[in-house]
Amino acid sequence: MTLIYGLIWGSWVVFGIATVWAFAWAVRSGQFRQVSKGSKVLFDEDEPVGEMTDAFPDVPDDQLPDPDNEGNDG
Amino acid sequence: MGDSETDLERDAQSRKAIDASARLPVVFMMASGVFWLLFGTVLAFIASFKLHSPWFLADQAWLTFGRVRPAHLNTMIYGWASMTGIGVLLWLQARLSRVRVPLRKSLIAVGVVWNFAVLAGTVAILAGGSTSVEWLEFPPWVAAILGALFVVVMAASVLTFVRRNVEHVYVSQWYLFGAVFWFPFLYIAGNLVIHGTGASGVAEATANWWYAHNVLGIWFTPIGLAAAYYFIPKVIGRPIHSYYLSLLGFWTLALFYNWAGTHHLIGGPIPLWVQTVGIVASMMMFIPVITVAINHHMTMVGHFDKLEYSPTLRFIVFGAMSYTLVSVQGSLTALRVVNETTHFTHYTIAHAHLGMYAFVTMVLFGSMYYILPRLTGREWSSGPLIRAHFWTTGLGMVLYWVGLTIGGWIQGQMLKNPDIAFIEIVQTTLPYLWSRSFAAALMSVGHFIFAYLVGRMLYEWATDRGKDRLPPMLGGDQ
Repeated sequence: MTLIYGLIWGSWVVFGIATVWAFAWAVRSGQFRQVSKGSKVLFDEDEPVGEMTDAFPDVPDDQLPDPDNEGNDG
Repeated sequence: MGDSETDLERDAQSRKAIDASARLPVVFMMASGVFWLLFGTVLAFIASFKLHSPWFLADQAWLTFGRVRPAHLNTMIYGWASMTGIGVLLWLQARLSRVRVPLRKSLIAVGVVWNFAVLAGTVAILAGGSTSVEWLEFPPWVAAILGALFVVVMAASVLTFVRRNVEHVYVSQWYLFGAVFWFPFLYIAGNLVIHGTGASGVAEATANWWYAHNVLGIWFTPIGLAAAYYFIPKVIGRPIHSYYLSLLGFWTLALFYNWAGTHHLIGGPIPLWVQTVGIVASMMMFIPVITVAINHHMTMVGHFDKLEYSPTLRFIVFGAMSYTLVSVQGSLTALRVVNETTHFTHYTIAHAHLGMYAFVTMVLFGSMYYILPRLTGREWSSGPLIRAHFWTTGLGMVLYWVGLTIGGWIQGQMLKNPDIAFIEIVQTTLPYLWSRSFAAALMSVGHFIFAYLVGRMLYEWATDRGKDRLPPMLGGDQ
């Protein structure tokens, strides 16, 4: 029983500290700065903003909607 | 933007190398997931049919409702959704960190043992060895194995993160990291407290619903949202509408979701303040839910026509919209005035499936449509079959939810009236239970179509066929 209580309260403390630490780390390392730049990490030169990357197998590439440059201001 | 010809080639090559590293562990997890999906589907159909036709398969103890239904729940949760979810998680983390998947052999071993553990747990339930604790029916020794295996998944996540080649931590990674650290704590704490001597009586029920609600809330929801935050922008080729809102959504979910589980016990014999905490937390969940809904919607605005062209986008957008719907419904259901009608009725079953199916399962389908061709180097074999999969599961889910929600509400209203005989209530729900079985049949058809598509792709991969059909989008020749 003592073991279980120790585990529960122990992990409660460890997780609490971990959460606060993670948040503090995020603030310190600039994760909340330049947030619009962060949203573009999904894209690269080969798969840039404005290009679709998935289609049904029976839809040829040239029939996809035209690429748009909306939001491509980076 | 640099020397674009070489940059282009470099980006494509590095993406291919990362996908190649994910190939064996992720394909194994997803293929296992599909096996459990079919297994759980058969159990689901049997359970559903028994509710209106109790004679159905009634003369075998292991096929009775009390065993088939928990076996369905556990194969879907720990087999289909968890294994496929781990596959999606490993792939997303590698992609977002731009490093190869680490511990590949260990992860495959985890997949193999995980399958045997789920099988052993399911056999135990069907043989009458269920623990009778909802969502934790597997015998404790099976739970111990699953908990231990998860340490490897955690280690792989930490290694991926530490080795990352990208400075910025994308919002999906926050969600995935949350899932990877929250779930083992939840699973181990839940099992220890409930199967140990830590909680008995109403305390056990409280721990039970803290656990059950959080399996959806802090294990499947973060994986589903991480996938939506990756695939919606990635498929349509447009960054998320408000990145700031997405971070706010993550941190508020982390803060509130864990408290909401006790709303399952409203009106029960537990301290009133424990119930009220659950209700307040459920209301606070409006913050992360509305931020996610606004964000996904505003990202999609002007791009809804692309739903016609992309299977991934269809399933993921269906799932993301269902997330909003299920969360709003859940918050409202937590209100005492609503709960006094809906509690102990089919309404709750409809709600649970809106979460685990319309949201989580549909997002997992969408993710697999994107990930598997990139891992196997094979294109899906049939567009019409993918569309059939979407419409059977989508319409089946809508029918399931509408039928049981209405039927459950009527059932709840009748249950509150002491002048109505119980058998009358049972008879009133029959048409709605039939609609549930019909919906289950539709969804089952979709699952078998999907399993065929996945099986065919893996067959072509294993026998080295079908490479010529790979479109340029997936790295094939122009």
